[in-house]
Formats: sequence, C-alpha cells, structure tokens
Amino acid sequence: MSTETPGPDITSRPSGRAARERMYRYVLLMCAATSILVTVSIVVLLARDAITFFTLVNPVNFFTGTEFLISRDVYGLLPLLSGTLLVTVISAVIALPTGLAAAVYLSEYASSRMRSVLKPGLEILAGIPTVVYGIFALVYVTPFLQSIGLPVNTFNILSASIMVGIMIIPMVSSLSEDAMSAVPDSLRQAGYGMGATKFEVTTGVVVPAAASGIFSSFILALSRAIGETMIVVVAAGSRPRMLNLSDPLANIYQGYQPMTAAMVQINSADTVSQLGFTSLFAIGLTLFVITFLLNLLSNRIAARYREEYE
Amino acid sequence: MATREPETGWHGEQSDVNHLRGRAFEATCLALTAFGLVSVLLLLLFVAKDAFRPLSADTGWLATYAATVLVPLAALGVYYYRLDEPAGEVAYVTSGLPVVGLLLTGGFAVLFIELLSVLEWFALLISLAVAGGLIVAHGRLRSKAALERLAVMFLAPILTVFGLPPTEFNWFVTDAAAALGLDFGLYYRVISLREAIMLLPFVPTDWAMLLLTLVLPVAGAAGWFVGQRRDSRRDSLAVVGITTVFAVLGVVAGPLLGIGTDIWLLLITFAILPLGVYVEGVVRRGEGVRGLAFPVIAVLGVAVGSVVTGVLGFAGPESWLDWGFLTSATSRTAADAGIYPAMVGSVMMIIVIVLTTFPVGVGAAIYLEEYAPSTGLMGKFVTLIEINIGNLAGVPSVVYGLLGLALFIRILNWPQGSVIVAGLAVGLLILPIVIISAQEAIRSVPDSLRQASYGMGATRWQTIRQVVLPEAIPGILTGTILALGRAIGETAPLLMIGAAASVRLAPNSFFDVASMMPRQIFTWSSELDPAFRHGVLAAGVVTLLAVLLVMNATAIVIRNRYQRTG
Repeated sequence: MSTETPGPDITSRPSGRAARERMYRYVLLMCAATSILVTVSIVVLLARDAITFFTLVNPVNFFTGTEFLISRDVYGLLPLLSGTLLVTVISAVIALPTGLAAAVYLSEYASSRMRSVLKPGLEILAGIPTVVYGIFALVYVTPFLQSIGLPVNTFNILSASIMVGIMIIPMVSSLSEDAMSAVPDSLRQAGYGMGATKFEVTTGVVVPAAASGIFSSFILALSRAIGETMIVVVAAGSRPRMLNLSDPLANIYQGYQPMTAAMVQINSADTVSQLGFTSLFAIGLTLFVITFLLNLLSNRIAARYREEYE
Repeated sequence: MATREPETGWHGEQSDVNHLRGRAFEATCLALTAFGLVSVLLLLLFVAKDAFRPLSADTGWLATYAATVLVPLAALGVYYYRLDEPAGEVAYVTSGLPVVGLLLTGGFAVLFIELLSVLEWFALLISLAVAGGLIVAHGRLRSKAALERLAVMFLAPILTVFGLPPTEFNWFVTDAAAALGLDFGLYYRVISLREAIMLLPFVPTDWAMLLLTLVLPVAGAAGWFVGQRRDSRRDSLAVVGITTVFAVLGVVAGPLLGIGTDIWLLLITFAILPLGVYVEGVVRRGEGVRGLAFPVIAVLGVAVGSVVTGVLGFAGPESWLDWGFLTSATSRTAADAGIYPAMVGSVMMIIVIVLTTFPVGVGAAIYLEEYAPSTGLMGKFVTLIEINIGNLAGVPSVVYGLLGLALFIRILNWPQGSVIVAGLAVGLLILPIVIISAQEAIRSVPDSLRQASYGMGATRWQTIRQVVLPEAIPGILTGTILALGRAIGETAPLLMIGAAASVRLAPNSFFDVASMMPRQIFTWSSELDPAFRHGVLAAGVVTLLAVLLVMNATAIVIRNRYQRTG
C-alpha cells in the first residue's frame, strides 16, 4: 500500500511490474510442480536400486519365493505378503463395519450435541501417532488378550491388527459420512413419503445411494492398513512366516513380519549385504505400487459418485 | 408385477411399524461408534496411570488435591456447561493460553540453550530488519523501478546476513578448486552486517538484546493488532508500554525470584502478554467474565493443596513423568532416563519443516487456487498436479523415509540421521497435507473480495498479498498446525533415514545426528525391563501426546474463532 503512488496512474508504462507478476507466477508454479517432482523422484530412486536388485535376483523367484532370509540371501516376497495380507484382513474386519456404522450414526441419527462430541473424538483417534498405537498393542492389548485366555505370543499379528483397525476407523467414518451427507435430502423425503421408517430409509436409500463413496473410503482404508509401519514394527514381531492354510485361525496368534516391518528391519540391521540392502528398494517399490494403485482406484470410484449428484 | 394386487393402504399397514428394529439399529451404530473411542480412552487411561502412578501417593495427598482442585473445577465445569457457555469458552482459552505460552517458551529456551546464543540471534534479527528496511526504503524512493526492486529484494538479505560472497558459496568454490588440484579461494570478501555485529568488541547484555529483538517486536505486533481491533492508538501504545515495563521489572526482580532473565523475557512474550491482552478484552466486553474464575481457582487450589500436603506431610506420587524426565538424557537405568535431547531434536526438526515445507506448500496452494488455468496444456498439467497431490497424501510414510534415504543420504551424501535430513523427509511427507488444507482455506475466501480488489486496479499478486492471504491466514494456520502435529509423531521415516536410537547430547546444529521424541520412544519400547516398559515408555508416550494435544487444541480454537459461517 505504502509502495504505491497515490491516485490512479494509468499513463505510466507497467515496465517492471509485469515482469514481477510473471516471476511470482513462475515461482508459485514451481512450488506446485514440486509435488510432481516428489512423485517422480520416488519412482526413479526406488526403481534405480530395485532394478539393480532384480538383475541379481530373478523377479519370478522374488514374487513367488516362500522364504525370506536375508542372512542367507534368500529373498521371497510371499512370507512378507502373508503378514501384510493378515494385517489388512483383520483390521478390515474391525474397521470397515465399525467405521460404516459410525458414519451412519453421525450422518443420520446423531443430534448436533452428540456430533460435536463424537466427531472431534474420532479426529483425535486419527491424530494419535502410530508408534503410540504400536506401544498400546504391545504393552496393553497383548497382555489383555493373554489374560482372557487367547494363546497369543508376545509378538502377534492379532493385537497389532486390532490397533491398525482402530487407527483406520476415522478414515472410513469421515469419508463415508461425507458420501452420505452428499445424498440429496429429496431421496430421504421420498422414502419417508412412501411410509418407510428411518431404519428403512437409512439402510434402503441412503447407504445404497452413497455406496460408491463408501467403497472408495474402504479402499483408501485398506491402502492405509497395507502401508502402516510402526504398529506392526513394534507389535507384530520380526519373523517372516508363510500363512498356515491348514489351520487358518492359529495364524493370528503368531508373529509375522509384514512388508513395511521387513523394510525397517533390513535398514536398521548392522550387517547386511549390498544385495540385501537393495532388496529394501524392491520391497518399497512393490509397496508403493500397491498403495498407489489402490489410491487411484479409490479416486476413480469417488469421482463417479460425485458425478451422480452434482 | 401383473400378479400383484393394487395397493391401497400404506406400507406396513397390516402390522405395527417395527420400532424395535430401528431402535436396535441406532443403538448398535452408536455402540460401534463408541467402540473405537472408548477402547482408546481406556488405553490412554492405562498409559497415564503408568506414567503418573497416582496410586503411589498417600491417600491423604490424593484426597487433599481432590478437595482443593478436582471438585471445585469439576463443579465449575458443570456450571459452565449447563448455564453459562460463553464463560466456558473463556475458561477454556484462559487455561489453554498459558499452556501454549509455556510450550513456546520452552521451545525458544531450548533454541537459545542448544542452537544459537542470544548474540547470534540478535545479529541475525538485526541484519534481517536492516535488509527489510532497505527493501522498504527502496520501494518508497523508486516506486516505479519494479525490476530494480527485485534485485534489491534478493541482494539486501544476502548482503546483510551472509556477506559477499556467502561463506558457504566460498567453501563450495574452494572445495571445487581443491578437487581440481588448485589452490584457489576467495580470500577477500565483504563481511555481512551479521558477522560485523558478532565481531563488535562490546555488545549489549543478553536481556537488552532479547528485549530489542523479541519482546518489543512481539509486543509491537500485539499492540498493532489491538489497535486495529479497537481503532485506538492509545491502546496499542499501552500494550507495548506495559509489556516493556513488565519485562524490565522482571529483569530487575527475576534474580530475586530465582527465574533467569532470559526465561523471564520469554515468559513475558509468549505467556503473559497474550493472556493479558485476552483477559483485558474479556473484562472490557463483559461477556463470560465468570470464566476467569476457572484458572484462578485452579491456581489457588494447587497453592492451597501444596500448603496443606506440606503441613500434614503427605507424600506425592512417584511419577515417572517429572521435571527430571523432561530435562535429562536417556540412560540405562530407568530412574535416570529422560527425553530432553529427543525433544530438542523434535523442536529442530519442526524448525526445518516450517522453513521449508510451509512456504512451498502455501505457494503451491496459492498457485492452484489463484493462478492455475483450467484449459489447454497447462490446464491438463494442473489437473495432473491436483490428482498427484491427492495420491501423494496416501503414500505410506515408510516410502517417504526410503525417498529420504535414497535422495539425501545416498545421493547428496548428507550425514545419516541428521536433523536436516529428518526434517526434509518428514516435510515431504506432510507437504500434500499442507497444500490441501491451504487450498481449502484459500478457496473459502469469497470471490467478491477478489473482484473488489481487481476493480480497484490491483494486480493479481497485490490482490493475493493484500486481500486473499490475510483472510485465509487463520485457515492456513489451522491446517499447518495439524500437519505439524502429524509430523511430530511420525516415526517410520526417522527409522529409514537412520535417526539415532538415542543420544546423550542434544544436537547443536542442523547437520548433527539427532534423535526425536517418537524415535526415542520406539527405542524404549524394545526394552524388556518392566521399569522401562511400564514407566519410562509410558512417560514418553504421555509427553508426546500432551504436546500433540496442545497443538490440536490450539488449531481447533483458531478454527472456531475465525471460521467463516456460511
């Protein structure tokens, strides 16, 4: 303000000003383009070492191998995938119904006072650091499970997955609630007009109408569970293990090492061969590709539902 | 459908409407919503119990404090909730402001103890102020020469802060020359104003420098803010004057009370000044004045409680989380272990993130909201950026750690586990969150304001700087504080870039190897000793959560105060 000449000054040539405006535009564009740069550097830098790894280890062996032992240079991804799969499935069993129910309650039933308590509460769940969830699982949940008579080991996939599940509830509930709030009120009124009860309107009209948004939130939550690191590092143990298909229930009492935990372990190991170190990037790239595809899929589904009502 | 009887009644006429099913469904949904909340609440209670060990105190101690603090405050809380909601908000803010102020005081105290001396801070600030003065003066004198101003904007800070050529640049040239086998360096350089101040044979005392460079600017800003709100120059002068008087009084009286002068000045700036301005505002408005009773009763209750327990000889709990825990380094024995170096690491990491991620993130958001074209090739590129930011927000944190490891440590050869690498890796992680929240804040500024500004003949950048940003700042601040909260708790990237498992000495520079709070907590979690597992670990978790709680509460207060309605 103080730098401007007083009064309108239309006659003077806007000599430097245009250049300055252009420069601001380019500087800001560069800020925005940083995000592309981040993605590109993730892909390039991860691929660089992953390619080194795959020239020495046959990719087929890597993706189908059933043993993962860095000390003997045996790299099979399946045991790590087993761990990741277990965490994802168990946490999904906990989080998806719970998150959906929370979304239904918040969007359809809750009074405004109830909402003002529950919504910040769920936000707090999302704000707790994951390492804290991991400590909860290890120090409090596992002893609790043991005390009620479950034969869980000190490090087990069950308590880790329970905490992962609780951690991703807010993600499911907030995105699903957004989807349900976006359902036009006219649909609900039409349901009531037909004589349907609130329960029937909720389960028969609102939830199906918001289905794509709900699915998109489910996928995003799964992707989050797959990428979750600290909870499984702290509480799920450090032993890569194949799924025991003959006795599925026994699996959940044992410790597993999901992909993310394996990455942390390889990186912090004292003695690790050059090949072992590059395997870090192969696992990381696999993880990145899986989560990236899931996120894209989730966006696609969410974009479809947006078109329906706006 | 042909076989169906034409319906005449309404759905469910034959049977009573089944209310039971609906009720059961609602109750189930509520129970499931509460499930996550209640289980985490229980876990938090357990960890708090482990950290504070309230049961190790005498029953008399617990009863005294329950009678002097807990019961009166609970009664007040119920009263505010039922009868006087504005007073409740006043109580919330007046209790919260000192806590935030103490946290900031602690942060700055750590800064002055570990990172830079008061003299260095003074020199840096004075040089920056001179550079700013030069830029403003040039703008006044030659307002037409916009290109020249650009040059001044870049050169003035370099000249005053770094000197010509900057030392780092000089090192770089010398190193490059040495690598080529040449003995070549820039031995003659113009030293910067900052270096000149550092070389002065006599310097003002620490408190005078702090008064000039920290207390007065903050008081000035507060005074300006008050003046703007009340349209009164007198009030803003009063704020500055009273603050200065208090600061000087404290410098004289501080040693008598056993508080260091530096700490006293920091307290004045960050805790007492904001609290005073707020309380004065509440009293003047006369709205919710009863809320002021809450902090007063809390302080009185603690004072009475400590006198009573002292006289009657009740012993307090042997809490793991005490002053010693916050101020000492970790140790092999649980009783001596503390979190101080890790806290310093976290503070320094936050500084790196604020200086790097915040400007880039806000800049990106400004571009995407204010400049981005929606058509043509650039439009496609912008759409790509938007989609990409959304996807980056979903990339697992451990992958960012891997990126940090590959980029900063293996390619740029920066020291493994140093503060700067940690800050940049975690900064990249929260960049998409900062961008998205800043975009939302900027988007919520009504278009009519922009049109008005354009109508006055302002350029796009002038509109952004003078109209859009001031309106969007509270929203941007809220989003940034929440993102910083996320950053403080992130652990996986720290593990990947090799942050130290635990350090005994706090880092002194950004290239020092450091440990951060969550990294230190993770180290403790692998100790098998129950004294660690149920004591030190719990204390660490509670410390981390307390910091996050304060940050989130601040963000929520800012959001509620400045939220645009409608």
